[in-house]
Amino acid sequence: MSDKRLEIKKKKAAHKRAVFFDKLAKYSIYAGGIAVIIAITGILAFIVVEAYPLFSGADGNEKAVIKEGRYGLPVLTGIDEYQEIAYIITDSASVDFIRLESKTPIKKIVFKELNDRTVFSASADMSKKHVALGLDSGKVALINIDYNITFDENDNRIITPEVSLVSYFTLDSTMQSITNLEYQVDEDGNPSLGAVTRDGRFLFYSKYQEQSLFGEGEVTEYKYDLSDDVSTRIKTLAMDSECRKLMAGDEKGSVYYFDISDKANPRMEKRLIVLDNSDVKLTAIKFILGDQSLIVGTSDGKVSSWMKVNEENTETGWKWVKAHTFEQHSAAITTIAPSTRNKCFFTASSDGEIKLHYLTSEKMLLSINEYKIPVKYIEFSPKADGAIILYKDGLISNYKIDDPHPEVTLYSLFGKVWYEGYKQPEYVWQSTGGTDEFEPKFSLVPLIIGTLKGTFYAMIFAIPLSLLGALYLSTFSHPNLRNKVKPIVELLAALPSVVIGFLAGLWFAPLLERILPGVLLMLIVLPITVIIGVSIWRYFPKMRLGLKGGYEVLFLIPLVILGVMISIELSPWFESFLFGGDYRVWLFDTLNTNYDQRNSIVVGFAMGFAVIPIIFTICEDALSSVPQHLTSASLALGATKWQTSIRVVLPTASPGIFSAIMIGLGRAVGETMIVLMATGNTPILSFSPFNGFRTLSANIAVEIPEAPYHGTLYRVLFVSAVLLFLLTFLVNTVAEVVRQRLRKKYMHI
Amino acid sequence: MKKLFKTGEIFIWFTGFGLAVTLLMISGLLVLVLLKGSDYYYPSKLASVSTVDGKNYLGQMVREEPIPKSNLPDSLRDKDLERYNLKIANRDIYGLDFKWIEQPEIKSILYPKDAAVIERMEFGNFNGYPIKLTKDGQTVIEGDENVEEGISSYLDKISDFRDEINHLSKSEVGKINYKIEQLRLDIKKLQYYNRDDISKVQEQIDQIQDKIDKLNNNYAVISHKVDSIKHIASRYSLLVKTAEGDEKQIDLLNIVRIYYPNRMSFVQKAGFIVNKIVEFLVEDPRESNTEGGVFPAIFGTVMMVILMSLVAVPFGVIAALYLREYAKQGAFVRLVRIAVNNLAGIPSIVFGVFGLGFFIYFVGGTIDKLFYPEILPTPTWGTGGILWASLTLALLTVPVVIVSTEEALASIPRGIREASLALGSTKWQTVRRIVLPAAAPGILTGVILAMARGAGEVAPLMITGVVKLAPNLPLDGNFPFFHLDRKFMHLGFHIFDVGFQSPNVEAALPMVYMTTLLLILIVVLLNISAMVLRNRLRKKYKSSTF
Repeated sequence: MSDKRLEIKKKKAAHKRAVFFDKLAKYSIYAGGIAVIIAITGILAFIVVEAYPLFSGADGNEKAVIKEGRYGLPVLTGIDEYQEIAYIITDSASVDFIRLESKTPIKKIVFKELNDRTVFSASADMSKKHVALGLDSGKVALINIDYNITFDENDNRIITPEVSLVSYFTLDSTMQSITNLEYQVDEDGNPSLGAVTRDGRFLFYSKYQEQSLFGEGEVTEYKYDLSDDVSTRIKTLAMDSECRKLMAGDEKGSVYYFDISDKANPRMEKRLIVLDNSDVKLTAIKFILGDQSLIVGTSDGKVSSWMKVNEENTETGWKWVKAHTFEQHSAAITTIAPSTRNKCFFTASSDGEIKLHYLTSEKMLLSINEYKIPVKYIEFSPKADGAIILYKDGLISNYKIDDPHPEVTLYSLFGKVWYEGYKQPEYVWQSTGGTDEFEPKFSLVPLIIGTLKGTFYAMIFAIPLSLLGALYLSTFSHPNLRNKVKPIVELLAALPSVVIGFLAGLWFAPLLERILPGVLLMLIVLPITVIIGVSIWRYFPKMRLGLKGGYEVLFLIPLVILGVMISIELSPWFESFLFGGDYRVWLFDTLNTNYDQRNSIVVGFAMGFAVIPIIFTICEDALSSVPQHLTSASLALGATKWQTSIRVVLPTASPGIFSAIMIGLGRAVGETMIVLMATGNTPILSFSPFNGFRTLSANIAVEIPEAPYHGTLYRVLFVSAVLLFLLTFLVNTVAEVVRQRLRKKYMHI
Repeated sequence: MKKLFKTGEIFIWFTGFGLAVTLLMISGLLVLVLLKGSDYYYPSKLASVSTVDGKNYLGQMVREEPIPKSNLPDSLRDKDLERYNLKIANRDIYGLDFKWIEQPEIKSILYPKDAAVIERMEFGNFNGYPIKLTKDGQTVIEGDENVEEGISSYLDKISDFRDEINHLSKSEVGKINYKIEQLRLDIKKLQYYNRDDISKVQEQIDQIQDKIDKLNNNYAVISHKVDSIKHIASRYSLLVKTAEGDEKQIDLLNIVRIYYPNRMSFVQKAGFIVNKIVEFLVEDPRESNTEGGVFPAIFGTVMMVILMSLVAVPFGVIAALYLREYAKQGAFVRLVRIAVNNLAGIPSIVFGVFGLGFFIYFVGGTIDKLFYPEILPTPTWGTGGILWASLTLALLTVPVVIVSTEEALASIPRGIREASLALGSTKWQTVRRIVLPAAAPGILTGVILAMARGAGEVAPLMITGVVKLAPNLPLDGNFPFFHLDRKFMHLGFHIFDVGFQSPNVEAALPMVYMTTLLLILIVVLLNISAMVLRNRLRKKYKSSTF
């Protein structure tokens, strides 16, 4: 083999290697490049996907059905917190426990006291542990049902149902059967009971045990016949979980409101009218969690919620209003069941339709219409992740419900919502509260207004300054000055916003509070200083400090400093001149606004400071790239420098200026740290420049560390991230497109 | 005057006014930060103020301002009166570090030569008059001048002790704790994977338990050592008289440094300032971040920026190469370019939200489920950490790298590429040997700009892994050395946290100003170097275009 052939072989190998690497590089760059592009677009996709489940309804799956009727017709059912074992109370007063999945009976209890009694009515309280039975001959039985949960050595769950008869007594001395019952036990364990007898009398019973440091005291029992307070036959009853309010509704639509907080003296407070149509009958009422809203169901299938609203001009100090209406059923409402965890509730009608609603969002979360049999009773499971439904013929069905975000709809995020305890529908953001009954309120409107407010104040400060400055630097200043100043301003665009926010919040805010009148005064003093400056320059050329034309700005700087100092010095004088003393008092007296130390003006200055370099730089680029021959032509035709700049340079560069402002706007909208540090971050809706606000971005930073993964708050914050993304992307795209057009335009001129 | 309006000259001056205000604000900001920061390090004089009602205060004047007229009684309204903010320190005695004293209250102000500021490990500074140094209650040095002269050698010794204690209780104990923690996890893992029949691995568990016991013994030895050092050191204490004349013992172990600002010479002051700056840069923070240094924050910032660059730079360069050199130029590429440009304008908090949802909860959560099921629900990777924070910031800064790399690639004359291809080299060879080296300064510019952006960004970090006080650095001597799941400290967040969430903001302010100054310095230096590089690049290609 000759050397030459060897060489050729080597060369061929080298060539092969080169081609191989070329291909390898090509494909990896393709892959890498496309991967980066996908990753970037994936950001939006991901946050949308995370936010989306907010707007889907609840999922309900039927897990078990049993048909019960061996010992009589069921009147009431309930279930344990793991939804394994249901109890069924029949009209022969027996309590059955049945394992739902295998349909195997576990335990059957017949209390010997109740042996040959018939159950006419039954009611379970909010805690689902206490049940009252209305029997024949005016008797009432109170039963406690509990599930004892233990774990064996292999950590398997063992649920042992326990039931006990707490008390058995005669409620109605005339021995009429009890046909309707409402039962609640308050947190001290004192029971209260409203009842209607067969002949239509309305009775109230309660038992009160003195609680003291020295153990349990005397027991007092109260029995009252309240029939005289109501003029018609009571059809349906509702009591709150703390046993303070008893509502009794008749068919015609009157609800009698009894104040029973003093058990010795139940008092009819007011008769409330909840129906306006005489053809329709009231069929069911129920309080929901929090005991403020009363859900009302009617014979034509309508469901609405009513609550007390404070109003000064009425004799009671409140009025009764219909706050929400819900999706209608096609038949009469038979029963209403409130959730134990939130403001959800079931309504069921006589055609077997069941709907799950959420109070404030009025959202219909789930609709079940499986059997077309009238529904007798529904109860939520203790964790509110399921329900047990009792149909008229003894069919019992267990549903598992997955309902993660009932409180949010598009409307509740962006519209006014009437929350409990509010006088009228409002925009409210309040994500956490003190009690279990607290309902989180997610309105993005105060935050969006806050964002716009912050952006507005930043822009009115930044746009004039940066535009004027850019115009001066690009058209009137000496090139040497321009080459020095431009990089400094550019550098400032990189200043971390946390620095600006810190100075604004801790240094500028207290300072501004002291010298606000002085700052107002600057609006007058500074223009005067400029006029003085130009006069000196023009009429006393000797005092130019040796500066040439194009360096006027250096001459102005000491003058501006002087002007600022004079304004601050005169601040107290100006304050007493304009406001007759402390301006904060004046603000409160005349405009009825408080002065917050960290307010919109502070943010305006700070955020303006952050966007000035951006607008300035892009504006200056646009202005100084206006083709030279245009300005030369204008000047040659005899136009002054000012005329040229205003009539020729500005119009030509206006798209560039527009895109500069847009990009500045985009930055201000999304700025987080400055707003976080320079405002009070109160999510209130106020347009006053002297109050703080909370922006979408600051809200995310404040709330997301506390938001449970995949919870409602978490997803609502993702919605606000999507909003921010789209808003800034839109603004930036417009700016970018305009800028590219401009570039083309310059090429043609 | 009319002429001024007619020619528009006055308007030109108003545009100049815009620039003047902008420039003033910029320089004002820098001067403000510089002044306020350096204030901290200047050992200002200790004033002994006695008031009309017979009280005495010893403190450094922090601020003086006029009393608002409305606060004064009528008789004093026509005078210009001042009030002074005195840093009286001695938090353990007064409760507050600062006191406002109004001019009419003051009887006299003196600057006693023997007044000293004692910096302590706990409770902040102490202002007072040192009397004597004692050992076990016996006087060692007495007399004002003698104490000043003699105490420094004792303080040096104590400082050595403190370092020793620190070393033992942080590094040594930390190492042992880390090992014990790892062993515990091993046990948990064994128990989890053999949960059906634990007896199978009982032997292994016992062995690990033995190791843990041994380590615990070591721990006891070390803590005994620490105790004995503490015992020796605690025999020394300094007797100090307060402004009110009360005497107070301060353990020498608790004293960081002592200085007499009223009799310091210029050289001493300069030395003092240098000393403080070094402390600021290399020490750990004390007293919930309001004293001491910011070393962990500097370390965290630097490490985060490096990690971020390691991800952002290669991907950014590849994406730019793809867009500029490989992809077919057309509508799609134009669209992508606009999207990439705009991505730089998306609010950083949105990236933070993405990082939290995707990296921490989705990726981290999945890793935990697959590899660390034994310690769930305690998260390992499913919580904020330096890796997730760096990745989030990498996404945020990738557009910066892409844009500047593209610019650099575009500025390379086509002739150079064509010459290379004409000589028979493949595209990759051209890119690697010709294009990339030529574009290197431009790419580097982008990298530096990205680093500057990353160093100054706070909002997305707040939700992806920055904490106010990290017990351990993400890099230490324990295997595997890099602990990317750890939370870290960051200069920008430090500013926010100490300035806005600290219980004693007033006392912490100087620290915040210094941190601000440091952060500005870092960002500005990075930006200036980027600018210089860019200018060089421009010049280079100006001359080589043909």
